[in-house]
Amino acid sequence: MGKGQLSLSRRKFLQVSGAAASSVAAGGLLNTVKATASEHSITNSSGNKEKFVPSACAMCVNKCGLVAHVVDGRIEKLNPNHKFFKSRSMLCARGNAGAAEPYNPDRLKKPLLRVGKRGEGKWKEISWEEAYKLAAERLAELKQKYKNRSSVAFVSTEGFQEEFFNMLSTSYGSTNTVRHPTLCLASVIQGWSSVFGTYPDADLTEADFVLMLGANRAESFVTPDTIDFQKSMPKKQTLVYVDPRFTATAAKSDKWYAIKPGTDLAFVLALINVIVTENWYDENFVNENTHGFEDLIKHVKLYTPEWAEKECEIPADEIRWVARQYAKYAPRSVIYPGRRTSWYVNDVYFRRACAILTAITGCWDEPGGVIPKSSIPLAKHDGALYPFYDMVKPRIDVSRESSINHLIPNDERAKKGLPQDSCAYLSEKDGSWIVFRDSVLKSDPYPVKGMFIFKQNPVEAVPNREKTLKMLQQMEFICTIDIQMSDTAWYSDLILPESTYLERWDPCHSLSGIWPIVVARQPVIEPIFDTKSMKEITAGIVNEMLKIPSLWDDCWESDVKSFKETVVKPILNQPTEKFIEHQLSKYPGAYEMMLKEGVFYIDDTAKYGKTKKKDFRYKTKTGKIEIYNVRYEDDGLSPLPVYASPSQPKPNEFRMILGRHAWNTHSGTQNNEYLHEIEPENAVWINDKRAFELGIMDGDYVYVKSSVGEQKIKAKVTRKIRPDCIFYTHGFGRLSKGLSLVYKTGASQSAILEDYVDSISGNAAMHETFVEIRKA
Amino acid sequence: MAKKRYAIVLDASKCLNCKACTVACKLENDVPVGQETYRIWVTENRLHGNFPNLTQTFQPSQCQHCENTPCASVCPTNATYKTEEGVVLVDYDKCVLCKACMTACPYDARFVDEHLAAVEKCTMCYHRLPDRDPACVETCPTKVRVFGDINDPESKASKLLAKNSYYRLKPSVNTRPRLFYVD
Amino acid sequence: MTTHTERVSNLASKTLTTSLIVIGIILLAIGGYASLQVFLQGHEAVYAVNREVPWGLLIATYAYFVITSTGLAFIGGLGHAFGFEKYSKMSKRIVVMAFVILLAGFTQIGMEIGHPIRLMIYLILSPNLNAPIVWMGVFYGIELVILAVELYIIFKPNKKESDHNTAKIVGFFALLVGVLATSNLGYVFGSLNARPFYHGVYFSIFLVISGITAGAALLLAIHNIIYKFNVPENLYSSMKALGKLMGAGIGVMIFLYLWKILSSLYTQPGDSYLAAKALLTGPLSINFWVGELVLAVILPLAIIVFSKASNMKALGIAGIVFMIGLFFTRYDFIVAGQLPPMREGLAGSGVHTVNGLAQYAPSATEWMIFALGWGVFLVLYFLAERFLILDTKEH
Repeated sequence: MGKGQLSLSRRKFLQVSGAAASSVAAGGLLNTVKATASEHSITNSSGNKEKFVPSACAMCVNKCGLVAHVVDGRIEKLNPNHKFFKSRSMLCARGNAGAAEPYNPDRLKKPLLRVGKRGEGKWKEISWEEAYKLAAERLAELKQKYKNRSSVAFVSTEGFQEEFFNMLSTSYGSTNTVRHPTLCLASVIQGWSSVFGTYPDADLTEADFVLMLGANRAESFVTPDTIDFQKSMPKKQTLVYVDPRFTATAAKSDKWYAIKPGTDLAFVLALINVIVTENWYDENFVNENTHGFEDLIKHVKLYTPEWAEKECEIPADEIRWVARQYAKYAPRSVIYPGRRTSWYVNDVYFRRACAILTAITGCWDEPGGVIPKSSIPLAKHDGALYPFYDMVKPRIDVSRESSINHLIPNDERAKKGLPQDSCAYLSEKDGSWIVFRDSVLKSDPYPVKGMFIFKQNPVEAVPNREKTLKMLQQMEFICTIDIQMSDTAWYSDLILPESTYLERWDPCHSLSGIWPIVVARQPVIEPIFDTKSMKEITAGIVNEMLKIPSLWDDCWESDVKSFKETVVKPILNQPTEKFIEHQLSKYPGAYEMMLKEGVFYIDDTAKYGKTKKKDFRYKTKTGKIEIYNVRYEDDGLSPLPVYASPSQPKPNEFRMILGRHAWNTHSGTQNNEYLHEIEPENAVWINDKRAFELGIMDGDYVYVKSSVGEQKIKAKVTRKIRPDCIFYTHGFGRLSKGLSLVYKTGASQSAILEDYVDSISGNAAMHETFVEIRKA
Repeated sequence: MAKKRYAIVLDASKCLNCKACTVACKLENDVPVGQETYRIWVTENRLHGNFPNLTQTFQPSQCQHCENTPCASVCPTNATYKTEEGVVLVDYDKCVLCKACMTACPYDARFVDEHLAAVEKCTMCYHRLPDRDPACVETCPTKVRVFGDINDPESKASKLLAKNSYYRLKPSVNTRPRLFYVD
Repeated sequence: MTTHTERVSNLASKTLTTSLIVIGIILLAIGGYASLQVFLQGHEAVYAVNREVPWGLLIATYAYFVITSTGLAFIGGLGHAFGFEKYSKMSKRIVVMAFVILLAGFTQIGMEIGHPIRLMIYLILSPNLNAPIVWMGVFYGIELVILAVELYIIFKPNKKESDHNTAKIVGFFALLVGVLATSNLGYVFGSLNARPFYHGVYFSIFLVISGITAGAALLLAIHNIIYKFNVPENLYSSMKALGKLMGAGIGVMIFLYLWKILSSLYTQPGDSYLAAKALLTGPLSINFWVGELVLAVILPLAIIVFSKASNMKALGIAGIVFMIGLFFTRYDFIVAGQLPPMREGLAGSGVHTVNGLAQYAPSATEWMIFALGWGVFLVLYFLAERFLILDTKEH
């Protein structure tokens, strides 16, 4: 395969430095931020060495700033960093419990090599030198055997060290990088981007009316929204919350509608119908900025509230009320974009509809509305050059030959605007997890035989655990990098223990939003065990790779030389502090501020109005806000969101829906003793009437069975959930003995979830599984 | 200079039941992991109504630092005492574990810490006062709790009490708590 | 004549007392083993008391022993100080029994309190004079001293006439301080505003009355045991008097029970109602109906009434049965008052309740510590029976 056919986007680190358009750093601090104790190490009154070190949390995706209280080299407590305004001076249960993570007795402490059967749990401790050598040798072997660098997949989830994992995958040259977005938010990014060209935030501090569909902010923490919607909102803000389940957010809301699952699109289309037919839309905004409004009018004619009531089981009067209230307070009204959208196979259309509602009422880019994110640009490593390799095949989930129609439920939606053969739009970096796994299992169109997994736990994170385990068994080599013996690590061949976020330097991340800010991490304590950061691991493996000639025989020698000079020497073999310094080099004093305060920002005011500047062009094909998406039309998708009813569970079945509690993050934190004692075991929520019919009492054990698996779990009989749904939390029923608190305790989600995708974005659809329940 | 009267004012309507405060407290104060060993808690009050018309509230609480202190009255060795600001504390060295304070407390705020070999409870993070807020107050996402000196009319706590109607827990036992719940 | 009786009684009691001492030693061994576990593993690991029910079996057994002691001292005081000759005929046994059983009670509270030595130190250094427990400790401590003095006076080799007067005074104070100590023990519970079932005067009064009743019962029981259910005639009048005293005591107890239960039930007053329900129909119902009412009230009273307090053997049985039932009386009140939780057992509260009540059941170690108390009593008392002359000469 010639070099010319290689996708240019693989050379993601080849960047040409253009004119730097950096804003002027104010240098010092402005406005209203409270003081932090940010002292150097002092000896306190009891004679201990005490210091307060700023850094950032990694217990979830929010990366809240923290200040670690360290006494005699031991973390005593993690406190909120009051300078980190994105989290409004808070640190949640997980953030606090993070202080115990470095001392978790189940932590991985040394590199481990599997000696028994895969999944048996027999390990031999090896040195880092041996581990690096092994990893490099395996990479070389697989390349030689399959003549395809993409035969090794690189799986990761976001984080501050992910860029170094990416450097490893790019150094090796595989196109099969799989990330978490298609287990989470790919559809909402796709849906909003197809209208506004970007995935925006919502300004809850100024909105007078907030419509939240499913985003359970009281329990699924997203900063600052989780805080703002209860603490910083206008006193008279109305919160309308739509969810099949009475969550903590429902408890806080002014109105809760227990919508029939899978019909959110019908609800939103009916809102649009009311606004269009009753003339509540913002005519000026629509005329100046949007494309396709006329088509919309025709399109929503049939989506009346009366029609919607039959679909979503929310009364037509209520739908009208919501629409009118929303319009009344516009432009200070928000239909909350949300984040996790791994719900249904038509989520992209649903999210499009939300964006369209925002567009036609002009609730865009001004206080109280939906706001495109701003960010503080950081200096990149210009001129980092990676070699072009010959022996590389394209992404497996894109180049696969067989159809994906078995991953879409066979109902009305399949026939209405959902591609059946392959995903319409997959991100080059992220792929689609479900399609990827399906292709690997079939070796379609080529075998994938190696995996490097960083910070992700596919065994529990990806629906249909059986298939993931089968895929792992197909591998010839699996290397997992993690801080704990996750289920995936348990099934791996080589486990590399990462230092926890409190024990390492991490590069800056510019957190975008309405109040952009930059954080990085510095070690709060020295690594307690023989662990390394992902950066050191990448450096270690790459340096070993450079000793193996067969890994460099399908690229130019000069490429290798540039690679060594522009990547290995200045980035990998340098301390991370240098990396951070470079990132902040545009702003004088920023590096010092980062070390002292743990944050960098230009100012702490909200950023509105960047799309209102003259001659602003939206990142859509027409350059306008596309109510009617022309590219969708070209690609055979519905240019306007078209509704089709989801399949329904049979009378003896339930739909499994997912959600979160505020004290756990996915499957990563259940083995922390402070968080574990809050919820030692999960329990399945069953509506009290259905439970009565099945003879199930609160606390009884039941079996939950789907077409792909069965789990035993305690029952929580409650009025807080619709009769047609059940729910239980994630991260229990684990297979790894290295997670002693949750090994075989409670039930696993992935064991019973069936695998479906929204074939526009490739996002997994995890609310499409029907289960039967019987008393144990 | 007027004597200080420390108090905590809570707006439970903002509470998300996220347990940030309970975890922060345990880590700040070395409270052992365990079902009985906790200084503060967040109760999920009874669900009201029938599906789909439901309401539920959450109530964070802890030792009430009563002005009329039943625990201090019954402690034989004066191990339980009150500071001049009204914070009720335990001198672990004097505690004999007779547990009279535990039976005297109307709020089930106390427990035995076997590592300390003494009775334990919320101390309003006295070691942090007055420069830093108690851990539960500081860490809360929605700032349910506000700590302050209610003898100082300019304090945030005083202003909240002045502007809102409030209630205290178990008024019939006349303990006059220093924890005020805003309505 | 007394010599003959003494000789006979001493001969007869050798095997009996020896076997009772041996049983006592076995119980001491069990209690000693348990104490070792307590010291090695700590209270939390071996006792079943919990956050909602911090006062359990050992408080009940402490109360069981010490209140019986002051009850005995009361009867002794009636004899010595107020000249009730029928009781003064048994004064030696009364004093020894009171002293030994008080010690037994101290072993219980010593194993229950986490830092007993610290308590003794701080009671001197920084006592809280408002605390009921302080006064309870003071009065029981003084009572121990008074009983020791009484013991000295009784067993002192060369008795003088003045000793008789001293004995009168000391006996009086034993009665008085005993009443103060026991009503104060009741006040430890009665002072608790947080526990409506405990709060008020009931327990102070009930304990004094039931303590005196217990003293009578124990005397009836022990005399029958010592004399192998063949009490000598010269003690008949004393036994009868004790029987009547016991009957009267039970009568007052019934009166107190009646109004306590009614006032806890009628119009369902909060926690008192819950505690009373726990006793009548809840987790403590068998303890209450069988243990308390049948064994401590109905059966003994029936025996006394139907035998007209004249059948020595029957009185002995009544005494034994009452002493068994008394255990339940102590245990039930102490536990029942703590079963209504201070906060509801809702999710997130940390409170564990079943059917709205807290839970408690004593652990094996706690029972073994109870055995320790009985061991102390059996060994010390029957050693005294064996090696000292406990029959009281006429004077």
